[in-house]
Amino acid sequence: MSQRVYITGLGMISAIGNNVPESFLSLSQSRTGIGKINHLTTRYKDEFLAGEIKLSNEALADLVKDSNPALNRNSYIAMLAAKEAVMNSGIDTNDGLRTGVISSTTVAGMSKTELYYKEMFVKDDHLNVLDTHDCGDSTERIADYLGNVDYVTTISTACSSAANAIMLGCRMIKHGQLDRVVVGGVDALSKFTFNGFNTLMILDREWCKPFDENRKGLNLGEGAAFVVIEGENALNLRKGKALAEVVGYANANDAYHQTASSPEGYGATLAIQQALAMSGLKPSQIDYINMHGTGTPNNDLSESMATKAVFGDQVPKFSSTKAFTGHTLAAAASIEAVISVLSLQNNMIFPNLNFTTPIAEMNLIPETKLVNTPLTTILSNSFGFGGNCSSLLFKKAS
Amino acid sequence: MNAIISYAHIKHNQVSVNGEVVFRSDSALSLPEFLSDAYKTLGLSYPKFHKMDAQCKLGFLCAEFALKGTEFLTKVDLSRTAIVLSNAASSLETDRVHQHSIDDKSNYFPSPAVFVYTLPNITIGELAIKYKITGENAFFISEQLDAELLVNYTETLLQSGTEAAIVGWVEVDGTQWEAFIFLVQNTENINKNSIFKPLNQSTVITQYNQTIWTH
Repeated sequence: MSQRVYITGLGMISAIGNNVPESFLSLSQSRTGIGKINHLTTRYKDEFLAGEIKLSNEALADLVKDSNPALNRNSYIAMLAAKEAVMNSGIDTNDGLRTGVISSTTVAGMSKTELYYKEMFVKDDHLNVLDTHDCGDSTERIADYLGNVDYVTTISTACSSAANAIMLGCRMIKHGQLDRVVVGGVDALSKFTFNGFNTLMILDREWCKPFDENRKGLNLGEGAAFVVIEGENALNLRKGKALAEVVGYANANDAYHQTASSPEGYGATLAIQQALAMSGLKPSQIDYINMHGTGTPNNDLSESMATKAVFGDQVPKFSSTKAFTGHTLAAAASIEAVISVLSLQNNMIFPNLNFTTPIAEMNLIPETKLVNTPLTTILSNSFGFGGNCSSLLFKKAS
Repeated sequence: MNAIISYAHIKHNQVSVNGEVVFRSDSALSLPEFLSDAYKTLGLSYPKFHKMDAQCKLGFLCAEFALKGTEFLTKVDLSRTAIVLSNAASSLETDRVHQHSIDDKSNYFPSPAVFVYTLPNITIGELAIKYKITGENAFFISEQLDAELLVNYTETLLQSGTEAAIVGWVEVDGTQWEAFIFLVQNTENINKNSIFKPLNQSTVITQYNQTIWTH
């Protein structure tokens, strides 16, 4: 039987805080990070709200202590969150064990490239920016920043990217290919993303209202989150401490539409069912679901259908934390993995902000206030364009 | 045995299947023109094809050529079939189109039909929609075709519930474009065929380098 995989370190930067303790404070005080746009230069500055990290690129560069002018916001926040996760876990990448970095991103260095893109056609002053544009670049930067990394790869599967990075990391440990892996995702806000989501007409001009009958769309956010996962052998060897166990994961394709979920949530249902099957847990044994819950009419209805298909009338307590962070795209699943572990550690369900009216045909009511309750098992969903549906199952470390 | 039962490679305005060039267009044709030609030669009627960006079209055609003449889609459990693709440029070709549409205040025309394709895994989505494949899927970004990664990952999937897979490389970056897709199946479930090669790194590298392109 393959070894168990534990989460042993957390790192996160997003609109609700520059590190995990700050994020926990915002979550436990029901304080959203979504607000007026301050850092991104966009024509939509006064039209939409966003979950921005509250630091300028210069401030981020100072924190990273790297003066390389080619670096971009994506790399800065990825390096910060990955470093925090590694420090938190206490692993030493120089101890001879095999360490991997599996990251994910969808926009990569776009936030910087787009500033100089037009200019690049007339002069060559900023061509160095292109060296850091690729999706793989921030992953390489993390690996260099951590030092002594044996394996690096990058996944790009839209908004479920980080869940798939976590899955791949778990599998590589279970198959004996790595001893521990820094897994997660990153996406910095860019005009590119804003303009694109706006054309899809799935942005809410107000605060997003996941699972509300009157939800109008999502708020974009930005962030990076990483967790250190370790096989039990490596963990026992260094007598480290587990924060949670990854007991289930699954990925399925909805096979319905490029950017919309099927009305019945077919892919989501498959992902949840298969993650449960892997863990051996029954639906009734799930204490809480951290939903994908973007606040778009399509996602929340489809996810509600999937939830009912799996859990019937016994739907566990649930909430979406997107109204805290905004939808952070490739980082969403790892941000929510960190939030799920904080929930397990503190026996707290963080509220689904801005909810008032249940979706008529569903009558599913999320937790709208902070709930203190014993939590042992948490399901976390992430669904992406391209039909990519992932579910992760976390269990309190015993 | 997990075997590669068929593979297709598209490059230099030519299509090869199982190592043999089966279709060739005028080498002067642009990628869109070539894709249109290749689509016609397959005799398909799939209106969604015409809405796709170049990368999805290329991936779609490569999969079609690999599947043609096989019983893959009828012999496998589509809910346990994986799609694993990779490339270096992510969705760069369409990213440029979207960026161009928002670059200039006086000429601002972003389109949802373009933005949809600014994610590399939309190519996977198009295959999943066409073939009703609902199994696992992943899209990796690597500098070049990474046979070790693709084979390791596919084997891992095959050890954990997946029974077949569509795997490969689909890249479009300006005039640099290429697709290479192979079909993996457990041959115990199908008639043994001596041309099936076991799934491993050297098989993938050999098949990738096998085609003799004419210039």
